[in-house]
Amino acid sequence: MPKVPYLKLTLASLAIGAVISVLMLQYDWMGDAASTAAGPIDTLLDWMIVLSSFTFSVVCVFLAYALYRFRVKPGDEGDGLPIHGNTRLEVIWTLIPTVIVLFAGGYSWIVLDEVESKEADPLIVNVYSQQFAWTFGYPGEGNKWSEGEFHVPVDRQVVFKMNAQDVIHSFWVPEWRIKQDNVPGITTDAVITPDREGTFQLVCTELCGAGHATMRATVVVESEQKFNKWLKGLDDTVPEGLYLTADQAIDLQKQIQKNSGGIDGSGIEQTGRKNVTSS
Amino acid sequence: MAHALKEPGWYRAALGTVIGAAFGFFLVVGLRLLAGLDAFQTEQTGYPQLVVPLITAPFGFLIGFGAFDYWFRWAAGKPTVPDDHSGHGATRWQDYFTFNTDHKVIGIQYIVTTFFFFFIGGVLALLIRAELAQPGTQVLDANLYNGVFSTHAVVMIFLFIIPMFAGIANYVLPIMIGAPDMAFPRLNALSFWLLPIAGLIFLGSFLAPGGSFDAGWTGYAPLSTGAPVGQSFFNIGVQFAGASSIATAINFLVTIITMRAPGMNLWRMPLLVWANLSTSLLVVGATPFIAGVQFMVFFDRIMGMNFFQFLEGGNVLSYQHIFWFYSHPAVYIMMLPGFGIISEVIATHARKPVFGYRLMALALLGIVVLAYSVWAHHMFVAGMFSWLRVPIMITTLLIAVPTGIKIFSWLGTLFYGKIHTYSTAMLFSLGFIVTFTVGGISGVMLGLVPLDIHMSDTYFVVAHIHFVLFGGSVFTIFAGIYHWFPKMTGRMYDERLGRVHFWGTMIGTWGTFIPQHWIGLDGMPRRVVDYATQYGDWNLVISVFSLVLGLAQLVFLYNMVVSWKWGPKAGDNPWRSKTIEWLVSSPPPTFNFDEIPRVVGGPYEYGTPGARHAIMGGEDAETSVPEPKPSTVAAPS
Amino acid sequence: MESASITATGQATTDDHHHHGPPAYHQSARIDQTVLGILLFILSEIMLFASFFAAYFFIRVVTGPETWPPPGVELPVLIAGINTVVLISSSFTVHYALEAIRKDNHDGLKLGLVLTWLLGATFLFIQINEYIHIGFTPRDGAFGSIFFSLTGLHGAHVFVGLLLLTFATVRAFRGHFGPAHKDHLGVEVPGIYWHFVDIMWIIVFASIYIL
Ligand code: HEA
Ligand code: HEA
Ligand code: CUA
Ligand SMILES: [Cu+2]
Repeated sequence: MPKVPYLKLTLASLAIGAVISVLMLQYDWMGDAASTAAGPIDTLLDWMIVLSSFTFSVVCVFLAYALYRFRVKPGDEGDGLPIHGNTRLEVIWTLIPTVIVLFAGGYSWIVLDEVESKEADPLIVNVYSQQFAWTFGYPGEGNKWSEGEFHVPVDRQVVFKMNAQDVIHSFWVPEWRIKQDNVPGITTDAVITPDREGTFQLVCTELCGAGHATMRATVVVESEQKFNKWLKGLDDTVPEGLYLTADQAIDLQKQIQKNSGGIDGSGIEQTGRKNVTSS
Repeated sequence: MAHALKEPGWYRAALGTVIGAAFGFFLVVGLRLLAGLDAFQTEQTGYPQLVVPLITAPFGFLIGFGAFDYWFRWAAGKPTVPDDHSGHGATRWQDYFTFNTDHKVIGIQYIVTTFFFFFIGGVLALLIRAELAQPGTQVLDANLYNGVFSTHAVVMIFLFIIPMFAGIANYVLPIMIGAPDMAFPRLNALSFWLLPIAGLIFLGSFLAPGGSFDAGWTGYAPLSTGAPVGQSFFNIGVQFAGASSIATAINFLVTIITMRAPGMNLWRMPLLVWANLSTSLLVVGATPFIAGVQFMVFFDRIMGMNFFQFLEGGNVLSYQHIFWFYSHPAVYIMMLPGFGIISEVIATHARKPVFGYRLMALALLGIVVLAYSVWAHHMFVAGMFSWLRVPIMITTLLIAVPTGIKIFSWLGTLFYGKIHTYSTAMLFSLGFIVTFTVGGISGVMLGLVPLDIHMSDTYFVVAHIHFVLFGGSVFTIFAGIYHWFPKMTGRMYDERLGRVHFWGTMIGTWGTFIPQHWIGLDGMPRRVVDYATQYGDWNLVISVFSLVLGLAQLVFLYNMVVSWKWGPKAGDNPWRSKTIEWLVSSPPPTFNFDEIPRVVGGPYEYGTPGARHAIMGGEDAETSVPEPKPSTVAAPS
Repeated sequence: MESASITATGQATTDDHHHHGPPAYHQSARIDQTVLGILLFILSEIMLFASFFAAYFFIRVVTGPETWPPPGVELPVLIAGINTVVLISSSFTVHYALEAIRKDNHDGLKLGLVLTWLLGATFLFIQINEYIHIGFTPRDGAFGSIFFSLTGLHGAHVFVGLLLLTFATVRAFRGHFGPAHKDHLGVEVPGIYWHFVDIMWIIVFASIYIL
């Protein structure tokens, strides 16, 4: 049996993997970072880039070598060697990926816990999404309301409580690395500590109808004083068009049941059907 | 004419369609008038006068076409027409347009039909790319755009990839295991004819008031429960496509279990058979879930039920759980048969036994089991139970292990082989290994919860989808089509054009879908008709490459059509392969064999002098056949 | 591992070997094709029910209304219980029909099938009656939706089962079927399906009316 320089091939894969990794690590794939979550998440991505580069180059190097070495000579009608398998090899290529993915999984779990850990005294911001607009409420700060734009102070943890009014929307600020769907009927939350001042975009990332692409809001992260000043200027009346929060929805549901004396059905309006896609 | 209307066929089918549609229509209008309502209901989620005929007309078509004639006679206790096999085989092209029960005819019907839908799906893809070539909205308005990409995905998934694999396996699998036909030939034909129906319903939705279904191929509630009537076309079309899938899967399972040639025990089955066995287990177990959940949406829409109406006690997230409990296994339904094809192609064209055959088969079963346990990785940011995320992350990651076994075993097969890269089938298999690995790795990244939180619903996911679906499934489909083309048509395709197709596809795929990773990570969400100008340049690049990709497919089309008609004669076994389908003529005789072959060894005994996989009828049965020598390196795993 | 010493060219089934027909396939498993087919079909049916049970679980447990069933709803457990007895007994009658034909007792077969059919039809009749008098509709909250969907899905299966039984009965009265195994598949297969419909009812009944 002709010799194959397995060791050299492995080393070559590692070397090429290292080169690809170094090249790929030069670039900030996820763009600017502006929250404490971004650090661990970006590091995790870096790890994955390295692991993936190695995995990919192992596959490519061995494939390329096989093509170079074992490509049939013109006119050769013969067969290859009748090798059916090799238990040791098979165990190796079962175990190594298992170890790699379990490492990635364990590491991710740690990152997840870190990113979602709560601090004392966060700022609560209520998020209301509907086709195709965002509204924000500050329940702890005199019940102020803002539409299409929200501000938060830098370096203080914010807990967003999200409610969708009609269909599912999703709350994403790429610089924060945090995304969370807003689901009608339940309240979902996200924990974020912005650590850089600036103006960012809130992007809706769940298909929600014709206006999905343009359903955005402005995010301003600023110093505590500026934030307080901005808050003072806000109204405390519930904006028009905002018809319910999750709690109100459940209340309404109970109301309907009570008023109709159980659920004999009379008088139940199809309130849930406001979600008609408008064009 | 009157006679033509009595005999099963296209005339009676047309009549049946009309009667079926009229029946549905008047049933609705009649019942409504009886109940004292307006004859027509035009609330956007309703339109029963349109939706009910959509269900009844296909049945009218099938009855007219003759799909149920045999069963009707049987049910009534009448003597069934003695099977004269007139519904078998094809001698003229018209025979492909009948209710034909020959698995080879059905295979061709499937393959041609699904390629037709591939080109439709591709034109829709090019529309997407035309719109996205520049920021702003130029070609399609927002509603139409949503409809176009939803239909693109649905057509590609339900009318191209899934049935294409069923078609290829329909053709070769029975021959491979030495069976004269599938276990239930009539059911097989019915499965096929359900498909064009589903396709017409999906495409017909563009004509519906309010436009085609536009809630994405995932059709999340409650966007879908409130959408215009086109969404009902999706709900109904999926039922037909799903029924077709399930019936085919049952057929494959029964065929594989009960109809193998003597001597073909489990460990002598070619891996394509193993792959379809595994896939069928997924189809039978998972497909009812999408049927169920689309029924629920349908009921919510037209009957005012409240499965997903949060104000009425419905649960919005339950849609996603039930949907993904099908649709995650579905992605392996779209991959495992491809794995089978690659094993066949690589063993044949590297002239070596598949490395680690048994572990390869077990890896397939491992993927089947794991596939049922990872559905919620599509819901990491959906607001579901947060405790479920880490367990699902672990099972998701573990799928990389059996898949890795497959990739490495293919590489192992190449080593010490004699690799024939001349054939386009082999080129696509090699291209598949590299391209699919990229898609799999991006899948692993998506599987990590903290990364998925950022990447979910961005173009990174779009890139993943197309690397696994185009670089995975479609590459394997091309490999399989090139590999068995000489068997199916008796003619050889043009390898030079094949190479042009391969390199065009390879460059097109990488050029189109690699940059999508970058813009996705950088913040471009998916399913948007318009995007921030900073992504304009990359999107232009993507659109240009998608054109390259499209042009390459035209080369393929030309090659197939011309070679089918005028290609040089291929001979029975141009690849000198060992599996049974190559031991019969090209194309195979109507009943595949005069006598069932006898299997005497593994399917890939290349390199062992004198080793045989099967002995065909008519050969001297006494010839002594050496058992293949055990491997020289180590015992088979 | 089987060795290379197999000589039989497949056990030809009883069909004679036409010149133009297919060669008889080699039977590689003892189970009958139709029976295996119906069992796999039932597997997928179970999964269809499972999807609706999943919806039921989400509506009842995850959404978690305070009262279940909703206030004011009184499910007719007694009637449904009687119906359960009706359906369960039909499983015995269909079994009786099958046993009868195995012993070549055609009268027993007919009797068993007719009884099964009547019991099944009674079940459907009572069920429809229950729908009419139940006092709420599928539009009434998620409870109404899941109640009518689960029982309705099951009802549809009873209907299909009845249809299959009708075929078997018609054929029985025309003198079809016999004691050999392949001669009474037309009774056995609908019978298997009928047992499935039965067992499924017990699960539906238990989770909707009792739990
Ligand atoms: C053919 C179809 C196919 C296949 C095979 C896969 C395979 C995989 N997919 Fe993919 N996926 C889709 C089709 C497919 N997917 C589609 C259509 C969607 C989007 C749906 C939508 O929302 O519209 C999706 C979305 C999707 C998501 C959700 C993203 C989101 O919306 O937020 C996730 C998350 O976990 C995921 C993960 C995976 C994983 C882990 C695999 C694994 O099976 C991959 C395993 C393979 C490899 C890993 C490569 C080979 C292995 C080796 C070389 C061994 C060594 C490797 C390592 C050590 C890493 N996929
Ligand atoms: C199943 C397989 C499959 C296949 C094969 C493809 C093939 C392609 N897809 Fe598709 N796609 C999906 C499955 C698939 N897709 C899914 C599941 C989604 C998600 C949908 C959702 O979000 O709900 C999606 C979404 C999707 C998007 C994202 C839309 C969005 O989120 O807004 C884009 C954008 O670029 C895209 C592009 C393409 C392109 C360019 C091809 C190309 O590969 C197509 C190449 C083929 C052809 C071009 C046809 C052949 C040639 C001709 C017809 C001749 C005419 C050509 C010329 C004159 C040049 N697809
Ligand atoms: Cu809101 Cu997309
Ligand atoms: Cu998945």
